[in-house]
Amino acid sequence: MTNRIFRSILIVAIAVLLASFVIITWCLYDYFGGLQEDLLQEELGLAAAATEEDGAAYLRALDSSYRLTWVAPDGSVLYDTQVDAAGMENHGDRTEIAQALQTGSGSSSRYSATLTEKTIYKAVRLSDGSVLRISKSHATAATLVMGMIQPIMIVAVLAVILSALLAGRMARRVVQPLNQLDLEHPLDNDAYEELLPLLHRIHAQHQQIEQQLRSLRQRQDEFDQITGSMQEGLVLLDAKENILSINPAARALFGAEPSCVGQDFLTVDRSQEMSQAIAAAMADGHHELRAQRGGRKYQFDISRIESQGTVAGTVLLSFDVSEQAESERSRREFTANVSHELKTPLQSIIGSAELMENGLVKPEDMPRFVGHIRQEAARLVTLIDDIIRLSQLDEGGDMPQEPLSLLDLAEEASQALSAAAEAKQVQLTVDGTPGRMVGVHRLVYEIVYNLCDNAIKYNVQGGRVELTVADTVREASLTVKDTGLGIAPEHQSRVFERFYRVDKSHSKQSGGTGLGLSIVKHAVLYHHGTIHLESTPGVGTTITVAFPKAAGGQGL
Amino acid sequence: MRSRFDEQLAMLNHEMIEMGAMCEKAIAQASKALTEGDLALAKEVTATAGGIDQMERDIENRCMKLLLQQQPVARDLRQISAALKMVTDMERIGDQAEEIAEIILFLGGRTMEPCGQIDDMAQATIKMVTESIDAFVKKSVETAQSVIDQDDIVDGYFIKMKNAIIQLIAENQEDGEFALDLLMISKYFERIGDHAVNVAEWVIYSVTGVHKEE
Repeated sequence: MTNRIFRSILIVAIAVLLASFVIITWCLYDYFGGLQEDLLQEELGLAAAATEEDGAAYLRALDSSYRLTWVAPDGSVLYDTQVDAAGMENHGDRTEIAQALQTGSGSSSRYSATLTEKTIYKAVRLSDGSVLRISKSHATAATLVMGMIQPIMIVAVLAVILSALLAGRMARRVVQPLNQLDLEHPLDNDAYEELLPLLHRIHAQHQQIEQQLRSLRQRQDEFDQITGSMQEGLVLLDAKENILSINPAARALFGAEPSCVGQDFLTVDRSQEMSQAIAAAMADGHHELRAQRGGRKYQFDISRIESQGTVAGTVLLSFDVSEQAESERSRREFTANVSHELKTPLQSIIGSAELMENGLVKPEDMPRFVGHIRQEAARLVTLIDDIIRLSQLDEGGDMPQEPLSLLDLAEEASQALSAAAEAKQVQLTVDGTPGRMVGVHRLVYEIVYNLCDNAIKYNVQGGRVELTVADTVREASLTVKDTGLGIAPEHQSRVFERFYRVDKSHSKQSGGTGLGLSIVKHAVLYHHGTIHLESTPGVGTTITVAFPKAAGGQGL
Repeated sequence: MRSRFDEQLAMLNHEMIEMGAMCEKAIAQASKALTEGDLALAKEVTATAGGIDQMERDIENRCMKLLLQQQPVARDLRQISAALKMVTDMERIGDQAEEIAEIILFLGGRTMEPCGQIDDMAQATIKMVTESIDAFVKKSVETAQSVIDQDDIVDGYFIKMKNAIIQLIAENQEDGEFALDLLMISKYFERIGDHAVNVAEWVIYSVTGVHKEE
């Protein structure tokens, strides 16, 4: 700033100095030049008149600062006041003399060889045809300028010093109010009016920035809200794998602190498979990885982010796939179990049939073998029935619903199972309120029957089974309580799985298919009911199923 | 110029963490191979240890270049010199995991059922290594101190193992070679623990500037 002001002031000062110098020099030079010529002309007139009268005698007697030359009509010099005429060459070809010889008067000016002097000549023709010339030398403008350079230089130096001082002061005076501006509130300033447009612009920009900040913050808030409530972990990395953003779910997953933003992702998770996966995503655009973190299975989806052709970073999404992996596992188990369960009775049938085919069976044993085949075939049919029922329940679909009484169904089931109960000397009691509800008759009966059947099957000799039906305003419930073997806590959560058996030997003595409780669970779910199991090994099991009374429960 | 230096320091940090992760992997592989008698896994340890050696050379080169070209001072200098010391210890951890793997290969799949404690010892050692790397990553003096304190646990396991091995030899004299291998493995685990302590001490040095001299 100071420099610029200094330069401007200096340029102005020097320009004014030079211009005034040139103009004054030129004007004065011109004026004095004209004056001198007039004097010269006058002097020449006087000298010419005198020479006409006295001739060379006048010239000889003349004591003048001018140089007078008398030239004969043929150009030879007759007399010169300063130089001996004899030694002078013919002057006929000089411009002023030639002019004078022709027209009566002439003038010219010539510069000396060094340009430091200028000589003005005036000539006039005398009556006898000879020419008198007068001349005067004086310094040229250049000589004058040369002589004035020194004072001019002094003035110029003074101008420089003054300009520097002035520039400094001016810059300070211009800048000081600028420095004291309160830019937070630009319009409240008491500054000189030239600054007002600037202040207005700053004010406008302030508002614009504030608005943009607000919308940015709002967007950031939205982003935080969305990522904050996400179940999935989300991490944004830049091209150097530094964390740009990490949501709470991802922080919990990697056990990272909020301060990890801006740091290398390796500080959060340094497993090689992860860094290789990120590198692969950087190279190929996308990579998936399944890994265990904190005892749960996660799927990590890593994608490259590109912006204008360059890799801006990667985004890492994590999903908890523990449940999915679990259900995949149970589906695989189910398929394996189904094939196994179907195969066992068939093997048995084939075995018996082969023995009979080869005549290895004595005729008196024949009924036993045939009976065995029939039994196994019946078991197979039961099993397939169960599987069909389960798959029907899986399918959902509409089944006719009707008003039912749980108590009636419980009575019905206990009648049907009385033979089995008697065989095991189990005392079967049915008690309670009617338990009215709306449901699919076949399914609800299946529930009651299966629960009751299990209670008898897994009971001790001479045990007890109590079926109690209860009504509340919202629910109808059935409690099946037995004094049986009970289920150990580690099995309790799994007994509703298909083919899951507490007794791993798949003992045929109980004769179950392993699907009973699974069917119960699905049938209860079909009716939007709940199922509750309480059991103590060696004491007994209590299973309560409750159905909502409102006529809901169409389809799953 | 300075930002380039910071970038190189960040790169050094990055490589150190990677190397630490590889050490964790090597010792975890060795321990798993030991528990399960998995020979294929034991062979993988050799590859991991090779990778660790390569990383050590890379990091040393980088440190030397930084020291010569940037002439760091104070904290930066501490970080680089600590890194130089740490990679040596980490490389030793990798080597010892490799030695354990070699013994496992030599045993040909025989596992360590007679001395259940070697699994506990391996887990304790892995914990120390993991925490020492954690301490480096988080520049946490507390974590480093906890690693140093845990050394007594691993040392305790070593003494227990020694007694168990004496018992083993007394009971079954034909199995002397196996007992010796077992002793070697426990000694290697104990050494790995010591190296983890060294790493932790250098972490403390790089943060506080004070190195605990024993």
